[in-house]
Amino acid sequence: MSRSGRFATWWPGGSAEDEDGTEPDPRFTFANERTFLAWSRTALALVVAGLAIVQLLPPFPGVPAGRHLLGVPLIVLGAVLAIVAYAEWVRNQRALRRGEPLPRSVMPWILAATIAGMAIISAIVLLISALR
Amino acid sequence: MSPVTQEGGPPPGDDPEESDPGLARERTSLAWTRTAISFAALGGVVLKVNVVTGVIILAIAPLVWELGRIFRGGSPGTRLPVVGGRRLLLITVSIVGVSLLCLLVAILGPAAPGALR
Repeated sequence: MSRSGRFATWWPGGSAEDEDGTEPDPRFTFANERTFLAWSRTALALVVAGLAIVQLLPPFPGVPAGRHLLGVPLIVLGAVLAIVAYAEWVRNQRALRRGEPLPRSVMPWILAATIAGMAIISAIVLLISALR
Repeated sequence: MSPVTQEGGPPPGDDPEESDPGLARERTSLAWTRTAISFAALGGVVLKVNVVTGVIILAIAPLVWELGRIFRGGSPGTRLPVVGGRRLLLITVSIVGVSLLCLLVAILGPAAPGALR
C-alpha cells in the first residue's frame, strides 16, 4: 500500500473507511465508540497518575530519579494508548462494515505488560530506598 | 420464547436495546460525558502544579462535552463512522497533546514534594 493510500485509510472520511461494505447495526457503531472512549479515559488516568507521582509524591530517599522513573513511563503510555485506541477503532469499524470478524486487540497486552513492568520498577525503587 | 420472523432474519432477543436502540445512544452519550469529566479532573490536578497548563486542559473538557452533544442531536442511520471518526481523532490528538504538556510539566515544573505526604 502506498504511503498516501495508507494515510487515506486512517484519516476519517478516507476512501477505505467510507465506501467498503455497508453501514453496520448502529448499536455496534455505538459500542465501538464507547470502547474507544473507555480506552481514552484509561489513557487520561495513566497521564494523571504519572504526573501525580512526579509532582506530588515526596522524593524516595536514596533514589533521586525514582519519581521520574515511575511517572514518565506512565505519561508516555497514556499517549501511546490514545493512539492505539484510535487505530483499533478504525480497524474495528472497517471490520464491522465488511462483516468480518473483529481483529484481536493488542491493547490489553500493552497495558498488562506495562503495569507488570511498572510494578517491578516500583518494587526495586522501594527496596533500594528501604535498604539505604 | 422469541417468535421467528417470516423473513428468516434473527428473532428479537432479550436485549432491550433491540426494541429501543436509543439506549445505546444514551450509553454512548454518557461515555462522552465521563470522558469530558476525566479531562476536567486531569486539568484540576495539573492546576495544582502549573496554572497555565491546568487552565488549557480544563478548557478542553467543555469542548469534549460539546463533541458528545453533536451526536446526541443526530438521527439513526446518519453516517456515524465518518462524523465519529473526525471527533474521535480529535480526542486522540487532545490526549497526545495533553500528555506532552504533562510530560513537560513533570520534568520541568517545580515539584511540590509532600503534597500527598
